[in-house]
Parts: sequence; structure tokens; C-alpha cells
Amino acid sequence: MSKPALIVGGGPAGLTAAYALASIGQRTVLVEKEDRLGGAPILSGYAKLVPSGEWARDAIGAMVERVGANDLVEVRAGASVEEFSGEAGAFTARLTDGSGIEAGAAILCTGFTHFDSVNKPEWGFGTHADVVTTTQVEQMFSSGDGVRCPSDGRKPKRVAILLCVGSRDRQIGREWCSKICCTVASNLAMEIREELPECHVYIYYMDIRTFGLNEDLYYWKSQEEFKVKYIKARIAEVTSDGERLIVKGEDTLVKRPITIPFDLVVHAIGMDPNVDNLLLSSVFGVDLEPHGHIGRASVYDAMGATSRPGVFVAGAATGPETINDSIAQAQAAAMAAYTFLHGGRAAAK
Amino acid sequence: MPIHEKSLIRPENLHVHEELEIDGVDVSGHWSTFIGSRVVTDYNEDLEEEIAALPGGEHIHRCWQCGSCTNSCTVYAVNEDFNPRYWIYLIRIGMEEELLRDGDIIWQCVSCNKCTYACPRDVAPEGVMKATAHWLELKGHRPKSPSILFDEVFSEQVFATGKIEEGRIVRDFFRRTSQPLVQEWLVEMVRRMVRHLPLKQLMTMGWFTILRPRTRGWGRARAAIAEHVAEEEARRRAALGLVDKATE
Repeated sequence: MSKPALIVGGGPAGLTAAYALASIGQRTVLVEKEDRLGGAPILSGYAKLVPSGEWARDAIGAMVERVGANDLVEVRAGASVEEFSGEAGAFTARLTDGSGIEAGAAILCTGFTHFDSVNKPEWGFGTHADVVTTTQVEQMFSSGDGVRCPSDGRKPKRVAILLCVGSRDRQIGREWCSKICCTVASNLAMEIREELPECHVYIYYMDIRTFGLNEDLYYWKSQEEFKVKYIKARIAEVTSDGERLIVKGEDTLVKRPITIPFDLVVHAIGMDPNVDNLLLSSVFGVDLEPHGHIGRASVYDAMGATSRPGVFVAGAATGPETINDSIAQAQAAAMAAYTFLHGGRAAAK
Repeated sequence: MPIHEKSLIRPENLHVHEELEIDGVDVSGHWSTFIGSRVVTDYNEDLEEEIAALPGGEHIHRCWQCGSCTNSCTVYAVNEDFNPRYWIYLIRIGMEEELLRDGDIIWQCVSCNKCTYACPRDVAPEGVMKATAHWLELKGHRPKSPSILFDEVFSEQVFATGKIEEGRIVRDFFRRTSQPLVQEWLVEMVRRMVRHLPLKQLMTMGWFTILRPRTRGWGRARAAIAEHVAEEEARRRAALGLVDKATE
């Protein structure tokens, strides 16, 4: 019997890769540095997912369960890979808990890190209590508490959602579009309007990128059914008059400066490369692409291959990615790893 | 050559004082021009719903500012200040003061409906223009336009009698728009009518002008129409936050 595949990271991609390999009879070892599986949707407490509308704890929770119940998947949580050596087909991994793994191939499903809004101090996060991130609003919903101003627990009457926080911003070295934030923001805007019908929600945007089928299901729907207002403006700064937040910027469509009071300001934060990517790059000996994500060896040829033969990558480790696409990539990477382990064409290359 | 930036500022925002001293400093005259703030400090969140409550304005919230309406607009082609895309935006975000600045051109929409055809989101901009013109009048920002006055004269007569009598419509319309009854073109038209229309028809017209006949059994229809019109008007006034004097 062949050696197991090592899967690093227990989020949607890692869970998918493990389950996909197990379902064709391939043993895997799933290493997760946190003490539980589920990745960002579970660890960060996401609420309802796009586009299914299912609660993250149900949807991703089911993925965790089916992996946990599978004999062919060995889960090692609370540990990370410290050393990774050997040749393709005969790798040896040493974990931080002292244990070792003999693996024939590895799939990196190491995901991303949420942008830390403190890096955009002009938008008030960390200075004003009522400036929060989309992740925090997700938590307000998933906890069942609903959307409240952190400063005093009041229901906001006016909410501003700022898009592209930590995305498309040369000032802070994040030139990429994080892909999901427009859709997430329009989804949250609808949820806020649903929970608090009296609350007005404004979205400040540079472009709206609710790509593909999300256009009418999120952007249009939020405008047409939920009366969410979209204002084309990049905000200059978020301050406070002592009572409410003051949002300053320029409304580009009317060429007028704006200074508007809000109760709650939400940063639609982007997806950074995993903060551990430099470490992962050196441990696994894989190249990073120019933005700092784990690089793919080929766009059209090998599925999920990295610069190191036998080491594959899937999901948001490769760049901003949706859960759906992370799952699809993980299935492709599982296919590639399986072929590699069993001497298929990919191995011959 | 005047300072270029001044051309970007609205005249009413430029303040020049003949005699002004601030903290002992003389700031009189042209060289001490002040510029008033143009910062938007708040939105009137009711504005969009007010327009949406009027016939034609129902789909304004769908707009995503592509500009198809303005690009296809007949009036925009001759007057670049006529910009439906811009007004829809002002209404949607509640910049009422800005909208009122254009109060004297918004009603100039000729209802060609090219915008309705071009709009990818089915906003029906022509309807929005109509609703906005109506809103300006109901809120008292603009006098009733001649076309609204004509509609009123026309419908009032239909409601009252179930019939239209052209002579009276013209007469009442002229009175409401303070126009003299004797106008050159009208005199000419009547002269030709007298010359060319059959005698019987002329007599019928004259007879109707004097007798004001009603459609038989009109009373019940009139009551129903009056009730409906009153309901609709009350609904619109309520949506616009206008309190009826009668109910005060």
C-alpha cells in the first residue's frame, strides 16, 4: 500500500482534499495548526455563506464531521509541520508536537489571513469602537446577537460599509482584488436590512465586483429588494464628533465632498496571503508568487502543482478564493496527488 | 485672466465683501474672496421613497448609474444640464438641495421614452422625471406647469360631466394660465372653423357650450371617480409628508 498523502490545513480545501482522497481509498494525514478543524469559516465564526445561504457551522461543520468519521483520514490538530524533507514519493514531515509522518505527497491547503484593518489607520479601526470588520459583523449574526454598535450596544440607524479595505491599495502593498468582499458586503447589507428594517445601509465602492452569478443574486437584489444604497466614493477618513462616526470622502458622481455621520462603519476586509507563507515556503521548499501566495507551477497543465514535485496546493493559499472554488481546487489537487502517488502520468513528467 | 478655480465654484458660493474686517484685518474687496463650503453633511433618506410613491417613480431604486438614460436623452442633446442620470442619483442618496437647483429644468422632459428603452435595469427614467416634476409641484418648489394645469382643467371637466367640451377647456385653460382669451391664432382658427365646419356641428358645439350636458347616469360614476381621486391624492400627500389642511 502506498504512503499516505499529507494534507496541511483543515479548512474547506483541506477537508475536501482529505475526503476526496479517502473516497477513492487513499489514506491521508490532515495536519491543522489550530485545535479544531473547519478553517476560517468556523474559526472566524462566519454566519450565512454565499451563495448557498447555509450557516457556516452547518455547511462546513458537515464537512468536518464526514472527515472525522472516516477511517482513512488521520487528523492531527494543534500541530504544524516544522520540517519537511526527502524526495518526491518519500517525504518525511516532522510536526511541532514531536511526531513524524511518512508521506508520498503533500497538499498545502493553508488558506489566507484576514487583512488587519489597523493597517489602514485613517479609517478608524482600533481608534473608534464602532468601526468594525465584515468578519465581526459575521460574528454578530452567527452569535445570534444581531448587529449592534460595540460602544454602547445600541441598534445602528445608519451603517456604512467601506469596500476594498486591504485590497487594490498600493499604499499598503495589496494590489490584488480580494474577489469575495463585494458579494460578502452586499450579502451582509441585506442581512442588516432584514434584521433592522429601519437601518439605512450605504456601501461606498470604487467598483462593484459581485462576479458571475452573484451580480443579480447579491448586487441587484440588495438594491432592488433591500434598498441598499451604493455610493461611488473612496473614503478619505473616518473620525468621530464624540457621538457618532463621521465619514469623509468625495462622492465622485456628484463631484462633491461628503462629511456624513454614521452609527457603525464596517470595513469589507480583504484576503491577505497567509501570514505564515514565508515560513511555509521555506519549510516545504515551494516558491511564492509575486503577491506572496503559494505559487502554482502551471496554469493549464498540472492540477494544483507547486514548484516542488509531489507538493500540491489548493484553495485560498493560491490567492483570494471563494469556498466553492477552494473545494473545486482541492478536488483537482487530490486527483493530482493520487495520480502522483500511484505513478500516473503526472508522476512521469 | 481670472483665477481658473473660480469657474469651478458656483457663483452663490463666492462671497466678496465691500467692507469687512476680521480680527483687525481688512478683508474687503475682490482680493479677499471667500468660498462657501460645498461639503455634503447629510442625506435626506426619505427623498427616494417620496419619489417612488408617485406614479412613474416606483423603480428608481434599481438605478446603478450607467448613464444610458442621459446618453439617449432627447433634451440632453440640446441642453447638457438636463441629466436624468444625475437627478436619479441625487434622489437616491437624498441630496435634496442639489436637486432643487435644477428644479427649473427637470420638468422639461419631453417623454420621448428613449431612456426607458435604453435602461438596462428597467428604472423607467421617463417615469421618474414625471414623478420628480410632480414632486416639485406638490412640495411647492415649482408652480404647476402649463401641462399639469391643462390636465387638471381637462380631467375636472370629465369628472364633472363625463364629457369634453373643447371650447370650455380652452377657455378655462387660458384663465388658469392667465392668457388672454383673444389670441391671434385662436381667432384665425375659429374663423376657419366657421367657414368650413358644417352648420349642424357648429350649432351642436354652441349648444353644448351653453347647456353643458352630462353623460346620462353620470352621477354614480362621478362619485366613484371622486372617491378614487381623493384616496390617491391623500396617499401621495401622506407619502410626501404633506399634512392635509382638512385633516389638521
